[in-house]
Amino acid sequence: MHVNSTRFGEIEIREDAVISFPEGLPGLDGEQWALIASSEESPFFWLHAVDHPAVAVPVTSPWLFFSDYEVSVPEDAANALGLDDPNDAYIVCVVRASDEIRDFTINLAGPLVINAATRTGRQVINAAGGYAVRHPLFSEVELNEVQPSSAPVPVTAAAE
Amino acid sequence: MLVITRKTGERICLGDDITITVLEVVGSTVRLGIDAPAEIPVFRHELWEAVKEENRAAADASVSQLKAPEDTP
Repeated sequence: MHVNSTRFGEIEIREDAVISFPEGLPGLDGEQWALIASSEESPFFWLHAVDHPAVAVPVTSPWLFFSDYEVSVPEDAANALGLDDPNDAYIVCVVRASDEIRDFTINLAGPLVINAATRTGRQVINAAGGYAVRHPLFSEVELNEVQPSSAPVPVTAAAE
Repeated sequence: MLVITRKTGERICLGDDITITVLEVVGSTVRLGIDAPAEIPVFRHELWEAVKEENRAAADASVSQLKAPEDTP
């Protein structure tokens, strides 16, 4: 499937890489999305709206940055997604990028929960409370020590 | 919109399964107790609005911003 992207130009996405968010992502247009790797070394992906050329958000696996992060998937979302075991969910969080790396934030309160088997997803309010919608992505320590290109990256779609 | 006046300790029922109890009123602050089945999501309205705002802000990102961390020594 061809997707016309204002960021990446014409890109080819495999049909089986399309993820359906039947409720959409709050605040954004689009029900069909695809994960696009920005590069093999980057911990970030773009979640790109298939039918909206300008709509894409950076996402990442929260555990690459916060190993003790917890997600509790609300029961209604687990049911809607057909997740018998919420541990089977593939989870990413939306990243708010910035010109300065220290200003990057991650939404830990509203993770995207994806059933990889059915390729359907939903953004939920994390029932494990206490997380911020705008949590700093890099701590001061990490800024001094981090090797940001060392993260493993699962690739479900690739920009051509 | 249905508008109902309640006193401390009084309740409102939404259908058969959801009960909201007014626990305490102090000045302009109301504490509510909500009994609802686990499959009913309950959250503060402003949290959902904050998620919308973060999504919109995140969608303003440029490719060069995401590459910046990789290129930073």
